[in-house]
Amino acid sequence: MDKRAIGGAGGRVRGPRAGLKKRAWLGAIAALLIASPGIAPAWADDAAPIEIGMVTPLTGAAAESGRYAEWGAEMAVAEVNAAGGVLGRPLKLVIEDDQTTNPGVVSAFNRLANDSAIVAFLGSIRSTQVHAMDPDVRRIAKPVFFGGTDPNLTHAGDPWLFRCRPNDTYSAKVIASFGVQTLNLKKWALVTSTDAFGSSGARLLTAELQALGASVVTAQGYANQTPDFTPVVLAVKGSGAEVIGSYFTFEQDLAIFARQLRQLGVRSPWVGSPSITDTAALHLAGPALYGTYGVADFNADSSPEAKAYAEAYQKLHKAPADQFSAWTYDAIKIAALAMTTAKSTDPAAFRTAILAIRGYKGTEGTYDFDANGDGLHGYNVVQNKSGKLVFVKRVDFPAP
Amino acid sequence: MAIILQLLFTGLGIGAVYALVALGFVLIYRATNVVNFAQGQFAMLGGYCMVITTVDLGLPYWLGIIISLVVMALFGAIFNLGVYYPLRHRSFLPVVISTIGASILITNLVLAIYGPEPTTLPGMTDYPGISFGAVFLDAQYLVIIATTLALVLLQYVFFEHTMIGKKMQAVSQDKEMASLLGINVTGMIMLTFTYSAVLGGIAGILVAPILFVSVGLGAQIALKAFAASIIGGFGDVPGAIVGGLLIGVAETLGAFYISVPYKDAFAFVLLFAFLLIRPQGIFGEKIAQKA
Repeated sequence: MDKRAIGGAGGRVRGPRAGLKKRAWLGAIAALLIASPGIAPAWADDAAPIEIGMVTPLTGAAAESGRYAEWGAEMAVAEVNAAGGVLGRPLKLVIEDDQTTNPGVVSAFNRLANDSAIVAFLGSIRSTQVHAMDPDVRRIAKPVFFGGTDPNLTHAGDPWLFRCRPNDTYSAKVIASFGVQTLNLKKWALVTSTDAFGSSGARLLTAELQALGASVVTAQGYANQTPDFTPVVLAVKGSGAEVIGSYFTFEQDLAIFARQLRQLGVRSPWVGSPSITDTAALHLAGPALYGTYGVADFNADSSPEAKAYAEAYQKLHKAPADQFSAWTYDAIKIAALAMTTAKSTDPAAFRTAILAIRGYKGTEGTYDFDANGDGLHGYNVVQNKSGKLVFVKRVDFPAP
Repeated sequence: MAIILQLLFTGLGIGAVYALVALGFVLIYRATNVVNFAQGQFAMLGGYCMVITTVDLGLPYWLGIIISLVVMALFGAIFNLGVYYPLRHRSFLPVVISTIGASILITNLVLAIYGPEPTTLPGMTDYPGISFGAVFLDAQYLVIIATTLALVLLQYVFFEHTMIGKKMQAVSQDKEMASLLGINVTGMIMLTFTYSAVLGGIAGILVAPILFVSVGLGAQIALKAFAASIIGGFGDVPGAIVGGLLIGVAETLGAFYISVPYKDAFAFVLLFAFLLIRPQGIFGEKIAQKA
């Protein structure tokens, strides 16, 4: 268990900080300096911080992406506080480790939910974990921003879930339309995780491909944390597929698959879900991913806002920004905007203000919240050229 | 035919890694009658030692291997002194719990020191592998299979044809009798832990270029290795090898011909089948027979 708080009046930090590295310290120091007297706004003595809870993987298989998510949220909190905070009060981030597991995320969320001072939460980027949290989210009845892309999450009647990434309906639409209409490839092999994210992606992509007149010649589901993808690669190789579509949950799985795919001589074009564009995947897979396409909700060249964020993130953390940090950055900014518009932290007024947001230019795109709680409705297409992600085009769909 | 050969080759490669870790389980079980649940973490530490020596410090690969194995040997000795020795007169359960606690501690220490990011380790050779028609033999898998065979041979010579190996066998079979015969039981157990840590380290070094190095590396291998040692006959050295290879091949063939999502299940279906039909494993269990 790891619980800590970042930001707030004077940037007080509480709790242990496992695995803190030099760059993270620099980030924390930057946040402290921004919030220091003389640099940041002087809060009134009775200006208790507005607390935002965050569950994120600090340990387990997704710990690396959890660190990026934390950095994005910290940057946004520091910027909001430097600009005067919200309703005359500073923001404070309270973080719990979800251990990259469903029981872990439920436990972490409930620990945060017991703190009545927390007015909103940042949930997981993994759909399966948001599904696990959902009953408690309904019970707590406070806004929860999340990054999981399973469309069902915002279509199951929970009024408190707000998505800060485009859902898989859009990733499937963009993967299918780019592969079929731009690359002109009709015979597809699908490789997808069997978890909620991958299963949902497989279903949606199959439907979109069929709608465009393309066919799925093989659909290969795999269990996460698979050490060997030889059976999957051989099935793809023997299927006669012209192009591969994928929904991978973990970067290590994606990298092992990519290497074995190339080793066994499969050179087909590959259009993947956002994980194919992750920093970790690029690092682990290296040349095995060169030439592949991916849909990315975040790309530094997609908008001036994304570019400015990427530059600030790179400067602070000496690492390229990706969607893991971008969505948490946007979520904090949207929460701050909604509370300011609502002039309240009351959950009902807060929720109404989030749903009323139109045309907010975030790092992930322009937010137009629909009645279901989906903020974004499009993706960027990028290509991996010798390890560098090159922006190809932005595809947006009208909000329903 | 090419598909079957490809699947068999990969299955034997990954199975050889399970076998090496299973061998560590078996050796410690034979010497101490307890299961060391930190055996997978030994593999993870071996992988990290190689990353530190060859990637971070830029040392030659061969020197990195030597240093890593020396570090693992020392670690095995320290593990024995810290985790097993203080509880050596207690029953099975406290020692097992102690090893589980040690595995959690090791994982979190590595996480705190090295961070959560998976990292890459280059293979032993730049040569990618050999192609026979449609069959590709990955060089790293060839190294894994060759190393496992060499270690099995080495181990046979050590245990059957050296005095110290025979002393270790005597301790594993009956500690009291071995002690009465003047064998230093504590020293032999220390040597067993040292050797098991080195074996785990070798498994980690071999598999790291394929699975990458992360704190989850040990857990990923250990569960299958544990199943392999039960299938082979817990406490039996050849059984651990055969069990590991059997699981590697079964899950690879099962994934291709039956179902990829249930790949992990094939190893455990095999385990259940053995527990029901032949609970003593392929080669039986020597200690049970003695009792």
